[in-house]
Amino acid sequence: MKIKGVLAAAAVGALVVACGPPQAANNQPQQTGNAGQPVGEMTGELKVWLFQEASNGPKEAVVNEAKQEFEAAHQGVKVTVEYLPVDGRASRFNGAFNDKNSSPDVAEFGNTDLAGYTASNGFADLTADLGAWTDSKDLIPSVLDTAKVKGKTYGIPWYTGTRALYYRTDVFSELGLQPPKTLAELTETARKIRQAKPDLYGIATGGKYIYAAFPYIWANGGDLAKQDGDKWTASINGQQARDGLRQYAELLKDDICPPSACAQLTGSQSVAQFAGGKAGMTIGGDFNRKAVEAGAVKGKYAVVPLPGKDSGSIAPAFAGGNLLGVFGASKKHTLSLEFIKLLGGKKYQQKMYTAMGNLPTFKDVQEQVASADKTLEPFVKTAQAGTRFVPATPAWTKIDAQSVIPTAIQQIATGGQSLEAATDAAAAEMNKAFGS
Amino acid sequence: MATVSRPVRKRRRPGRLIAEIACCVIAALVAVPLYWMVLSAFKPAGEIQSPAPWTFAPSFDSFERVLDSQGFGRYFVNSAIVALCVVALSMLLSFLSAVALTRFRFKGRTVLLVMLLVAQMVPVEALTIPLFFMVQQAGSAVPALGLNELAPLVLVNLAFSLPFAIWMLRGFVAAVPAELEEAAALDGASRLRFTWQVLFPLVAPGLVATSVLAFIHAWNDFLFAQTLIFSDVDNRTLPQAMRVFYKPEELDWGGIMAGATLMTIPVLIFFIFVQRHLASGLSGAVKG
Amino acid sequence: MTTQIAPAAPELEVPAPQRPVRKKRDGRAAALYLLPAGVLLLALMAYPLYQLVQISLYEYNQPQASGAEPLVFIGLDNYIELFGDDQFWSVLVSTVLFAAVCVIGSLLVGTGLAILATRVRTVPRMLLFLAALGAWATPAMAGSYIWLFLFDADFGVVNEILGMQGHSWTFDRLSAFGLVAAEVIWCSFPFVMMTMYAGIRNISAEVIEAAQLDGATWTRTATQVILPILKPLLVIATIQSIIWDFKIFTQIYVMTNGGGIAGQNLVLNVYTYQKAFAGEEYGLGAAIGVVMTILLMLITVVYLRTQRRSGWQP
Repeated sequence: MKIKGVLAAAAVGALVVACGPPQAANNQPQQTGNAGQPVGEMTGELKVWLFQEASNGPKEAVVNEAKQEFEAAHQGVKVTVEYLPVDGRASRFNGAFNDKNSSPDVAEFGNTDLAGYTASNGFADLTADLGAWTDSKDLIPSVLDTAKVKGKTYGIPWYTGTRALYYRTDVFSELGLQPPKTLAELTETARKIRQAKPDLYGIATGGKYIYAAFPYIWANGGDLAKQDGDKWTASINGQQARDGLRQYAELLKDDICPPSACAQLTGSQSVAQFAGGKAGMTIGGDFNRKAVEAGAVKGKYAVVPLPGKDSGSIAPAFAGGNLLGVFGASKKHTLSLEFIKLLGGKKYQQKMYTAMGNLPTFKDVQEQVASADKTLEPFVKTAQAGTRFVPATPAWTKIDAQSVIPTAIQQIATGGQSLEAATDAAAAEMNKAFGS
Repeated sequence: MATVSRPVRKRRRPGRLIAEIACCVIAALVAVPLYWMVLSAFKPAGEIQSPAPWTFAPSFDSFERVLDSQGFGRYFVNSAIVALCVVALSMLLSFLSAVALTRFRFKGRTVLLVMLLVAQMVPVEALTIPLFFMVQQAGSAVPALGLNELAPLVLVNLAFSLPFAIWMLRGFVAAVPAELEEAAALDGASRLRFTWQVLFPLVAPGLVATSVLAFIHAWNDFLFAQTLIFSDVDNRTLPQAMRVFYKPEELDWGGIMAGATLMTIPVLIFFIFVQRHLASGLSGAVKG
Repeated sequence: MTTQIAPAAPELEVPAPQRPVRKKRDGRAAALYLLPAGVLLLALMAYPLYQLVQISLYEYNQPQASGAEPLVFIGLDNYIELFGDDQFWSVLVSTVLFAAVCVIGSLLVGTGLAILATRVRTVPRMLLFLAALGAWATPAMAGSYIWLFLFDADFGVVNEILGMQGHSWTFDRLSAFGLVAAEVIWCSFPFVMMTMYAGIRNISAEVIEAAQLDGATWTRTATQVILPILKPLLVIATIQSIIWDFKIFTQIYVMTNGGGIAGQNLVLNVYTYQKAFAGEEYGLGAAIGVVMTILLMLITVVYLRTQRRSGWQP
């Protein structure tokens, strides 16, 4: 009996160790051909993944136009576009990385996801291809940087998202307020609004709205993490980052934006509160303008750059935005590249701006639309004042997914943890993620 | 019910009235969330956030938005195909297994029964990775069983709803008196003939009742569909399509409620249809 | 595990079906009948489960899955990391307590309403059943959103009725857990209710009459005759509820917005998702999956043991 048991245990042990867990066949990044030589098939179906927007109609119209133009120019090519919900995109993309055979060819993806995707060899290195594309010289360098990992470019920036300060012009003139010149003034202004009008939040912002909190950290001279060679180290518990977080968490108090309502708010939810006329201010992106225009505050608001620490300065904004890339497993590399050069090119960026309000990534196109539309000015100003980005490492995906920073903000705002303890814990979590 | 309360009925008339009132009040309370779902689906966009428990201007806007969304009809059909295949196969497999587990005596029977319980304890999210690679491999041998096909979705949903189906069905099979089997044996009927010609018709209502749970399982499945059908637009199922409306960022309440209403209706119809059998089946689940 | 209705008193014995005496060929026939389901379950459940254990012993993230990086065997490191995480233990405790509340709540509500249903006429009973079936049929995600909407701080009809507009039900930890528990009980009591109702109906009239003739009051009949007969049913309903409620995901995820403020409302399944799957650390996620399965098995075994000691016969 005993021997049998030992044998069984040994057999089980051997079974566990013998063959490893399942894994996709190893794929090296696809080789790109010599200049001028097409890589892969030039006919057939081109599968494209784009994100589904809140109101997808205008986007679809522009994309369909590009699709028709492309199909007319390329005999025997059929472009199939699928719109993915942003939420739950991970399993779709991972599926494509794990099963090369059914991988699509082209995808739109967020620049914060890029580092994680490249760690899985998900997207093709386009450095050489884009270098040969004359238009690429007009891409704004800081924006192009968000498409790079370790010096290699993996996509064309399709549009950028920059956030600025929205405020209610009617409320401000009624209370005799001026748009704040510094972040400290912003807190005071917000407090005054709620004092005078208790049914309004001084500023609608949230514990989960990290892209509103980051400018506070950056404006105070702090940073999320520091890079030393290949190694990242969290610096969110540094003095300056703490100052920024303290200042941000002050907004999530009963006298400005009560934590019972605001601790859980995300970016779009914060903007929705403002659009619904429930707040004196909010931090919102150029891409939020359509939603605000459709809300109760239409015609009663204005936008200025989010102020920095000192009067006259602008807080560095997060360089959000989406890229168009070519899947590493695509069997139609050159064809895919042609397509993203069309859809991500100047002509269609302009069209996308008209349809969706997406801020273009080419310097000349951006200036052109900004001069035609004064409402874009604060966003362009903010972008030109210099934007910052999250740590460009796959670990960021994990830190983001584990809600490390929202947890810290919520703990500080609700008083669950001290500023020091919360930031130390967040730094420890981040370092753990960086370490692996 | 009559049999239970007959002896006390005469004495308890006023008590029963109170019980009946309580029963109706509770039914109403339980129904409130559902009522709210349907109501919100019909409310026009402007009224959605008003707490008024009625609307004077019912509109189909939300339903239209759902129905117009990318390929809703196609996804509805896909979901129906998957769910009905799961139901049919689950009926067959769980019937055979339940017969074996209740009417046959063999070594390891108890172990198997315990395994059926254990099988329900595994958190399915954790299994999606191994399943993905298994289906991928199956697909390289038989294309129809590969990723982005409906067939593996049927099989996976079937596997995960089977343990509970077998567990429940045991009661129905056990409820068929042993005398019938003996009589059949005396008549010279083979076991196979007994199973199909005597047991099967008797257990059939129970089968239908049990299948409703397999139906819900397959109909609501989101996880497997999302994992296994990741790049084929045409083979998407309904919960994946609904996902568009479940955006935590900007909740389209009207759309969510209309979608939820549309998704609940087929299940509810199925439920009401088998309700009577379901009840006796659930109690039968322990009589094996 | 085959359960026979446990007789409360010798004279109340319910005849259990006698098994025919064809034992010899039973083994082979049973194997044949079990073959299709067995193959399916082995292939799609047992084998992936085996692979899950394997994954838990490796460093296995998305780059490993897609083959961009080689696999590294790390033994029990994933488990060590898990057990060394304070948050895991606190989440474990809240999961057990939360599941316990949901299980007890569904059992009490379900059984109570089942008894109520046996004592009313057809129309009220049908109304109750219809409402209950509706609750049961509602997809979990839809149900969560509806409840969230009903209890919305500003626009919710509940706050409107209670006159406490602006009160957030999800800000406080216990209140948030309570709200989710209410939703879980709402959609899981119908199973218990239908089961118990059918169970009560199946008790033969003679049993009740015999007790009544012996001069037992209705309460005594209920506690000393009906309940013991229902016990096996209750045990099964309890086990099923434990299995379901311990694995709650959607309701917590949707209603507390991914686990509540600063993760105060996390339960194991949501914790797994955020810790491992959203961050694509599948090795760690697999380890939590294995731990969860073992934990559920332990709870079930302990529960069955106590039931057996108190007279329930498996």
